[in-house]
Amino acid sequence: MPGGGQCPDCGSTELVEDSHYSQSQLVCSDCGCVVTEGVLTTTFSDEGNLREVTYSRSTGENDQVSRSQQRGLRRVRDLCRVLQLPSTFEDTAVAYYQQAYRHSGIRAARLQKKEVLVGCCVLITCRQHNWPLTMGTVCALLYADLDVFSGTYMQIVKLLGLDVPSLCLADLVKTYCSSFRLFQASPSVPAKYVEDKEKMLSRTLQLVELADETWLVTGRHPLPVITAATFLAWQSLQPSHRLTCSLARFCKLANVDLPYPASSRLQELLSVLLRMAERLAWLQVLKLDKRSVVKHIGDLLQHRHTLVRKAFRDGTAEMEAGEKELRGRCQGPEQGKEEVASSSLDLPEGKRPASPTPLLPPCMLKPPKRICPPPPVSTVTGDENISDSEIEQYLRTPQEIKDFEKAQAARQAARSVSNPP
Amino acid sequence: MVLQRQCNKTFLLMQGQRCCEYADDLAPPGSPLLSPIVPDDGYIPNTSNSETVFNSHLQEVKGASGHFSSVDLSFLPDELTQESKDQSVIRSKQDIEENCKTQSQQSRLSLPREQDMGLGLINDSTLSKSHSQAYPGDADSVQPSPEKPNSTPLMSITPMTPVTPVSECSGIVPQLQNIVSTVNLACKLDLKKIALHAKNAEYNPKRFAAVIMRIREPRTTALIFSSGKMVCTGAKSEEQSRLAARKYARVVQKLGFPARFLDFKIQNMVGSCDVRFPIRLEGLVLTHQQFSSYEPELFPGLIYRMVKPRIVLLIFVSGKVVLTGAKERSEIYEAFENIYPILKGFKKA
Repeated sequence: MPGGGQCPDCGSTELVEDSHYSQSQLVCSDCGCVVTEGVLTTTFSDEGNLREVTYSRSTGENDQVSRSQQRGLRRVRDLCRVLQLPSTFEDTAVAYYQQAYRHSGIRAARLQKKEVLVGCCVLITCRQHNWPLTMGTVCALLYADLDVFSGTYMQIVKLLGLDVPSLCLADLVKTYCSSFRLFQASPSVPAKYVEDKEKMLSRTLQLVELADETWLVTGRHPLPVITAATFLAWQSLQPSHRLTCSLARFCKLANVDLPYPASSRLQELLSVLLRMAERLAWLQVLKLDKRSVVKHIGDLLQHRHTLVRKAFRDGTAEMEAGEKELRGRCQGPEQGKEEVASSSLDLPEGKRPASPTPLLPPCMLKPPKRICPPPPVSTVTGDENISDSEIEQYLRTPQEIKDFEKAQAARQAARSVSNPP
Repeated sequence: MVLQRQCNKTFLLMQGQRCCEYADDLAPPGSPLLSPIVPDDGYIPNTSNSETVFNSHLQEVKGASGHFSSVDLSFLPDELTQESKDQSVIRSKQDIEENCKTQSQQSRLSLPREQDMGLGLINDSTLSKSHSQAYPGDADSVQPSPEKPNSTPLMSITPMTPVTPVSECSGIVPQLQNIVSTVNLACKLDLKKIALHAKNAEYNPKRFAAVIMRIREPRTTALIFSSGKMVCTGAKSEEQSRLAARKYARVVQKLGFPARFLDFKIQNMVGSCDVRFPIRLEGLVLTHQQFSSYEPELFPGLIYRMVKPRIVLLIFVSGKVVLTGAKERSEIYEAFENIYPILKGFKKA
């Protein structure tokens, strides 16, 4: 605020230096009278030192917005551009950020939280448009901790009262699979490892659907399942050359990070496929294991609906009759004997079918780590007498106090010696 | 006394009606669940002997009190004598237990009964008697149900606090795992002195501005602040929490502070249970999106924020449910009864 100067109209001394487009003006903030104004046009010699002013900076809109909010909004736009999102997403994300900023808790939050808030707004926008963006990607781009991100995300969803749909698995499969660098030969990718994108995508989708149906996806992070499914799909398309390649090597070739749970998801998926293979007539005679079943994934996926129904029974239902299940293409003589066996019974001869195993999530199939005994019956009323001896057991005797103090002093002395000032 | 008994019968009738409303969707009419308390409105009565005893009582009651369309507790007398409360509570709980024995997990049933009785309504002697009679610890032992109904008259009343520890519908009772309570010792405390004189205390002012004290029985932890306020956690029941808090107060007293025991309040109760079937969390979040939050990238369970009662439930794919945020035990039971039919809807894949 410049000192001195009075408005000729109303006589107030509240004069503000403001600019209207590229013309600087001295304006009275009470009545709006323009007291003095600069030159609107510039001469050629003046222009040498001048710079272009963007429209958003020339209008006064950013003066009402705090600097940190401006920074945040800029980060939101940058993030949208880095992720190559459509322009409508940018506007929505910016609107969410502004909406969040109206809450005092957000305005007073630490910078780290405001930075993470940028990611949250973009993520919510993507989720609402079914754009498959994972939290891991956003955190990696923002160099943010997933814990901080999750706290801010849950808070902002609750604060703004938003309805955020779940991550769309099919779209995630498409985007994630497309990021695998296996569709063209290169120095790192031998010709036998190159695969057609469409075939791989469709097979991966089928495998992911199978995993979803057999309880391998619920409650778990979606990405490792997709990694495992992509690997199996890729292997099964040319098993003769690719069975020797491990999951870790595959991810390295494809230039994709291997998520840690992917190997256990792979084992789970393979065991599901093995159970299904036991129900397929021409595969029963072959003693399949987790490696050889990969060769037959194509067949298994083709008949997956019937096979899942046959191979697994409802976890809570009674066992169905075994005879019904093997109609049609049964070749070998099968006894169809009903076995009241648990799922651990793996038949050595491929002739008799195993009894259907329950279709349950893996956490329910594992034996309980420790059986919690029901807590003992407690007849506590809360008003019982408390004996002195019981309380005395928690108190130190005077001798113990002296010893303790001595020990503490010694420790303090030792610490000050070891940490010289 | 006679008037009291009639009121009691009517209350049980209404309990029975409510039971029938719930059970309508879930259990067929002829099931053993409904038979003992079935009112005379057209349910298929079973042919057991006990039925006639109940029915005659019920008809008497109906004549006396007229038609009840909803549960209305306003007529109940304000106080019952201790002795009639004792008897009636034991008997009613035995009744409810018999109803649900056929379709419930037996080991879970015995627990809340004792705990509810521990709430101070019953003295210990009647409690121990009923233990030996009606609560076999072994899940496989046979309930003496054929003899029971004939001898038990239908003049029992469930306790005044609207607690239904065993629902007629699910038969599963959440177990309390943790109780958090606070109490005001109403005197300024010297934390350094407490940490020096007490064996079971730890105090690290740089990390946290309170003494962390632990006792072995009941197994709990307390945070004692210099203002005299104390937080007690880890107890498995309200009474245990109160007893533990009193023990901590006594320790502080013995250390020379004029500690009192003011404003003891239970702040939070956590319970857990298992519905024993897998749950499709993706489906649940679709149908109940205004209450649920399911982010598998962040947490494997679904967070369900129930509005009435105001409880947060963590629902996992294995069927385990954690309920938290309750100030009263009944809120946990009520919340579980509300969620159980919803979860059953997602039982099949």
